[in-house]
Amino acid sequence: MARVLEVRDLAVGYGDEVVLDEIAFDVDRGQVFAILGGSGSGKSTLLRTLIGLQPPLSGRVHFTGIGPPALALTPPRFGVLFQSSALFGSWTLLQNVLLPLQKWTTLPADAAFAVAMGRLRLVGLDRYAHHLPSEVSGGMRKRAGIARALALDPPILFFDEPSAGLDPVTAAELDELIRALSRDLVVTIVLVTHELPSILQVADQCIMVDRAAGGIIARGAPRELADRNVDARVQAFFRRQPLPRTS
Amino acid sequence: MTATTFTLQRATTADGRLRVELGGRLTLTEGAQLWRQLQLALRERPAEIDLAGVTRLDGGSAALLASLVARQRSGGDGVEIVGASKEAGRLLRLYDCARGGDCAREAPTTPGLLREVGAITHDLFSSARAILAFVGDLAAGLAAALRRPRSVHLTEFGRLLERTGADGVPIVLLINFLVGGILALQGAIQLHRFGGDQFLASLVGLSIVRELGPLMTAILVTGRSGAAFASELGTMTVNEEIDALRMLGQDPQRFLVFPRVLALTIAVPLLTVLGNLIGVFGGLTIAWWYLRQPTTVYLQELTRALDLADVGTGLLKSVSYAVAIGLIACQRGLATRGGAEGVGRSTTSAVVVALFMLVVIDAMWTWVFSALGW
Ligand SMILES: Nc1ncnc2c1ncn2[C@@H]1O[C@H](COP(=O)(O)OP(=O)(O)O)[C@@H](O)[C@H]1O
Ligand SMILES: [Mg+2]
Repeated sequence: MARVLEVRDLAVGYGDEVVLDEIAFDVDRGQVFAILGGSGSGKSTLLRTLIGLQPPLSGRVHFTGIGPPALALTPPRFGVLFQSSALFGSWTLLQNVLLPLQKWTTLPADAAFAVAMGRLRLVGLDRYAHHLPSEVSGGMRKRAGIARALALDPPILFFDEPSAGLDPVTAAELDELIRALSRDLVVTIVLVTHELPSILQVADQCIMVDRAAGGIIARGAPRELADRNVDARVQAFFRRQPLPRTS
Repeated sequence: MTATTFTLQRATTADGRLRVELGGRLTLTEGAQLWRQLQLALRERPAEIDLAGVTRLDGGSAALLASLVARQRSGGDGVEIVGASKEAGRLLRLYDCARGGDCAREAPTTPGLLREVGAITHDLFSSARAILAFVGDLAAGLAAALRRPRSVHLTEFGRLLERTGADGVPIVLLINFLVGGILALQGAIQLHRFGGDQFLASLVGLSIVRELGPLMTAILVTGRSGAAFASELGTMTVNEEIDALRMLGQDPQRFLVFPRVLALTIAVPLLTVLGNLIGVFGGLTIAWWYLRQPTTVYLQELTRALDLADVGTGLLKSVSYAVAIGLIACQRGLATRGGAEGVGRSTTSAVVVALFMLVVIDAMWTWVFSALGW
């Protein structure tokens, strides 16, 4: 399988503060790759570094086939769903999805409208196209964020906690949507999550990061990690148990 | 026409109808060309669109295709998509218009000028009404607060006073000094012609203390604190922080509005006093530099011309300016709807409405004072 993303010796953090160190992994085309870890373990920091919003402290992030992650000058090659959805609050969902199309394609207005409506239909929101983000639920905002991320058909999608904070049914629907995207659109998806059902449902491969360990503590297929990994932290995570206190 | 990586050809089906054959790469990069060419071809009412030659189809082009087909069908012309590969078929199903409503609709158009003007006029009236209702609420709240003064949230008060008052001192001093100086220069040129040099101090003193000092200071406070309050409360409204406050049993008026209005009522008269002093000093500088007038002459004339009523009416004005700025800014902020753009709109509206009200209040006081002979 063709490789899309190579990460080697990566250290991420803020200024002098190293949050995660010695990060190395590969993502193959068409995969759903999950980055797991508890709250505050540095998942968002790692994701922001991968997409080039934050400089790596050291090491490298290499995208094969789609060039280096340059921002601003070229059409974005990643679709990103931010943890807070980050929809523009004064714009309707439709206008949010239209923005990248207007900026980066030469589509006439009615064609851009058709594409944007298509994206919203894909995530089941076409009936809410003319609502403001504040007028729809959190799960709908997440889905609208996905529709916006999909707008330009990027080869890689990055999702930060797509199903966090949603009810189980909505979360399951979102997982199903992610599976469908991966299957039908043949995109590569890198997602960050701490939601167990999501991981087992959706991910092909995963790594688990830990703030105390300052790096990756486990890697593999999620089912294998859940069933066979002997690390206490990994087991605590998958069994939803508190870690025994050591100090 | 630029060369495209996709092809569109016309052929005939077995029963002699038109078939549109697409081939090559259909991607969003060439979406505009695809859209136009396909639209043209569809006017000839083909029976089918053949995708057998398509090597790649991305989601965006699938959405375009689905939308055009839906439009064609809603116009009463059936058209079939044939020859799609398995992947392409899946994509087309994902974007299929049969799954949702709005597919065949045209893009919305922007409203015309007349409608915009109408909407703005309507907004202006409804904002005036909203501010009045707000003042009513606030008066009721004030009565309750006076009965239970401790229900007013004053922990921020020191910080607010610093932000509205102390931080504003430099700009208030600078502007009032310049205004006093400019006024004096204009006056001195005229007065000198008629040999009326000694009246410069009374001209500058009266204009500054009764009128320009309070007004200029209030205008500066509107731009500084009025805008700040409106955007601050607006952002809080948009972020549901105001709702959270209500749910925590805090009345936003007592928690946010009273302290701000109170801070302004204290800060603005104080700033005005400073502004008056430096404005008069600006006049003195001109008298000394332009008219070669001894400082003592200027000061004597000033004390002769000004009495307590002049200073008092100016300060009375400045207190009412302060209340108006505070109320308007807070009301506009709390009335914010929508997101970041809404915050911008209410900030603009707060500044514009407050400036307008300053002039109205000024005119009212001038009328009252002249009726009372002050
Ligand atoms: N802007 C920032 N500046 C400094 N430290 C930060 C910043 N954002 C997050 N951190 C720290 O980085 C760590 C990881 O945060 P984050 O990547 O958001 O975790 P996660 O997404 O896994 O919950 C936390 O300990 C947090 O305190
Ligand atoms: Mg996070």
